Amino acid sequence: MSTVEVEPEGGAGTSVRVRRPRGYLRIGNLVALPVRGVTVLAAIVVLVLTVAAAVATLTLGRLGIAPGDLLPAILGGAEGKEKFVLNRLRGPRLVVCLGAGAAFGLSGALFQTATRNPLASPDVIGLASGAGAGAAIFALAMPGGAPVWLGALLGATGAMGVVHLATGTGFRDPGRLVVAGIGVAAIGTAITQYVVYVVERDKASALSAYVNGSVAARSWADAATIGLVLLVVAVPAVVLSRHLDLGEMGDEVARSLGGNPGRARTCGVVLAIVLSAGAVTVAGPVAFIALTAPQIARRSTRGSGPHLVLSTLVGMLLLTVADLAAQQLPYVEPLPVGIYTLAFGGAYLGFLLTREWRSGRL
Amino acid sequence: MTAEPAPAPVGLSARDVTLSYGRSPVVEGVDLDLPDGGLTVIVGPNGCGKSTLLKSFARVLRPVGGTINLAGRDVHAYRGREFARKVALLPQSPIAPEGITVRGLVRRGRHPHHTLLRQWSPDDDRAIAFALDRTGLADLAETPVGDLSGGQRQRAWIAMVLAQQTPVILLDEPTTFLDIAHQYELLELCAELNREGRTIAAVLHDLDQAARFASNLIVMKSGRIVAEGSPDAVLTAERVHDVFALPCDIARDPITGTPKVIPHTRTPRSGSGVMPSGGAGVRP
Repeated sequence: MSTVEVEPEGGAGTSVRVRRPRGYLRIGNLVALPVRGVTVLAAIVVLVLTVAAAVATLTLGRLGIAPGDLLPAILGGAEGKEKFVLNRLRGPRLVVCLGAGAAFGLSGALFQTATRNPLASPDVIGLASGAGAGAAIFALAMPGGAPVWLGALLGATGAMGVVHLATGTGFRDPGRLVVAGIGVAAIGTAITQYVVYVVERDKASALSAYVNGSVAARSWADAATIGLVLLVVAVPAVVLSRHLDLGEMGDEVARSLGGNPGRARTCGVVLAIVLSAGAVTVAGPVAFIALTAPQIARRSTRGSGPHLVLSTLVGMLLLTVADLAAQQLPYVEPLPVGIYTLAFGGAYLGFLLTREWRSGRL
Repeated sequence: MTAEPAPAPVGLSARDVTLSYGRSPVVEGVDLDLPDGGLTVIVGPNGCGKSTLLKSFARVLRPVGGTINLAGRDVHAYRGREFARKVALLPQSPIAPEGITVRGLVRRGRHPHHTLLRQWSPDDDRAIAFALDRTGLADLAETPVGDLSGGQRQRAWIAMVLAQQTPVILLDEPTTFLDIAHQYELLELCAELNREGRTIAAVLHDLDQAARFASNLIVMKSGRIVAEGSPDAVLTAERVHDVFALPCDIARDPITGTPKVIPHTRTPRSGSGVMPSGGAGVRP
């Protein structure tokens, strides 16, 4: 570790010894990216927990693959019952969980940072419900007519358009955003219920999946969809991260540091909408992953910044654990995963609202 | 090794600039040259457009008419980061990101010197250490900005602006929310930085402070510049009356000899001011 001598200008002979700040991933002189130790540690912990939850998802229960057979089954191609469980029953479901969780987490982090508003999360402000309504219309009312993801994207964009207009101040004011979002979310849910009721009169489970979100009975096609969405968004999100950092300090500071806060905000919101729409396409409007994942990421590292990577990982973990509970909790009929996240995240939203209210930010 | 290169002359000027947030212009037809190496202070009543004018110099606000030039080139023709290596702005109410440390905040000032892949440069450490040292925050570098006192917080923002290493620094009411000791501490720092060669322009409210520290004083009223020059020449009783609608006398600051505004107030508090306390005329 080298030290640098700094002579204060007009200094009275005093010199400050500075230790080169650590916390950069450096590759020669070309690449130097800020990476905080505590973030790496948190990411490793979250990853280990996610792997544990994934293993549990595949091994627990009557149909679970024996833990000893899991690795050979994944690597060497499974046979018989194991093949059915891995390829049809739980494998795609697990991958969809990981992908949708990651997309919700990243979407929430982008939206909250871009709008500088901890409550501005796709699930709270009606984005996910709008996507759900769009998905329901495309999937049920005109099956085969157009891809479901397009419906989700249109629904999400429409919902955000309405919220943006309804607040009168865009996405800036936390209070207005939440109130407008609750209204739009209710409209979205009502549309979904209407569509499902008209089309699938008898299927209560289908209704629940579209309203609350569920990952039961997913296919590899769903897994590929969400994987593709994540792949497409990843690079722009990384590029954007640095600009969202600047936006945190207010538009004037961001601009005077050479940033373009308006453009960064627009890009952040667009990426968040795409991610949410993708996640809703494969998992339905699962509540509160997008709200809580960035908050957990932020709180566990106590740092500033958008925490995009960590939020993504935490989102993965949350949805996987919630779905594990949905599959394995005893004495309960298998419920859609969205019910669990709703119960957990609702309490958290209450806490967050109270806190923002007390500190006068709402 | 010195931490700061000697700033090159810049030449920041406004030509027939009109600024507006909506329909009616806030600043109209203003011509202004910020003298290189000067400490320019802009004063004027609330809503006269002084902060707006400062923002336009920082490229934060685009004029609806006229141009702002830096070294003979329209400021909006520069790329964002290129301009940010030449001119820095500290706005009135910047937002400190949640949980950020002083060092983290100061490091944000290095943004214009970075690229996507290279978010660290060898000059960073020197610039950050210099900024922390000059603002007296070296010992508080790892403290969260949220835990600082008002005076320290303002110094942390100044440090961020210093780390930007620009020859021009623009400050929008930097003394607001500071107690009087911290106000002077901050103004002294500005004066020192100015003496070392930086061009500084600040919007201030306190006319006495403006007169003490400015090498060039600008008075604005209703979106126009009404006077410009040395504080001695500009700050007259008639002008203060005319611009601020405040009847006053101008005295000499006993320490610096600069003009000092002594307002006439209609209802002087008994027992203070002109009448010696306990004097015969005090009790009714």
